[in-house]
Amino acid sequence: MADLYLHDWRGWTPHRVADGEPRLDTRDKPAGTAVPSMLRRRLNLVGRAVCDMLAAIDPDADSLVLHASRHGDGERTLEMLYGLDEGEPLSPARFGLSVHNATVGVYSIASGNRRSQQAIAASGGEWAALIAESRGYLADHHSSLVVIFSDQPVPPRFAAYAPESFSAAVALRLGREPVEGARRLTETPMAVDDPTLQPLDIIDWLMGLRQRVACPMSRRGWQLANLPS
Amino acid sequence: MATTALEHELKEMIIETLELEDVTPDDIDPEEPLFVEGLGLDSIDALELGLALQKRYGITLESEAESSRQHFANLKSLAALVESRRQK
Repeated sequence: MADLYLHDWRGWTPHRVADGEPRLDTRDKPAGTAVPSMLRRRLNLVGRAVCDMLAAIDPDADSLVLHASRHGDGERTLEMLYGLDEGEPLSPARFGLSVHNATVGVYSIASGNRRSQQAIAASGGEWAALIAESRGYLADHHSSLVVIFSDQPVPPRFAAYAPESFSAAVALRLGREPVEGARRLTETPMAVDDPTLQPLDIIDWLMGLRQRVACPMSRRGWQLANLPS
Repeated sequence: MATTALEHELKEMIIETLELEDVTPDDIDPEEPLFVEGLGLDSIDALELGLALQKRYGITLESEAESSRQHFANLKSLAALVESRRQK
């Protein structure tokens, strides 16, 4: 399988220390300044982080964007369902922002990016799905694209049904060819019993805190290697 | 021009319901347009505001666009609507 190249990345999570890494934002509340306040008000914290990261990693707003999230905005979506059950009218704004592609939709409005965007939920296989989709786009004459992986804790009354998750988001620019400062991303078959991959795991991997990440569902593993200078 | 108690109440309702960041009641001029220019609200805000009026004052707006446009023109017209049609 052809290698991919990691050109650049950005991350957000309040659950890690940046330790001098400028690409990692660890503030409790991301600024969200990439989006005007009249649009920003409708984004949750993860959504604000995603838009800020996109502005940083794709300043020309001209990249394909793939966005994966296992649960999306579970808080809004599930609470709306309970509201419906109790006969309450739906909030139009909350309904509009509960869809899985809401965040990248807001980003496209704010940035003017009219390239393809894709929203993915894969029941725990989000990272593997992002890489598989990336390979497809890169094979289809695109030289690079941006992938985003974000999630937030599942609402408390559903927490027992899902692995514990943490607020985190990560954006990576992947390409077919190396560029200066890029790292090679290799993928190999790997039968593992690791916990489901979450955005925080990808941040740890990018920070060098773990050597590889692996997806038990797709039985694949990924490693990063520096390129000879 | 002095703001009436109802106008002030509506300002707070608009800020809270529409989650307007960095906007205070003083920033909303009762005679400035609420939508597009002026405060800069959009069509989703109009739906959200209609829902808030229904919940808080028991006002159900007719679907006819022109009358809604007049009611939502600015804070003063919104206050006039609430005053004349409130059920609670």
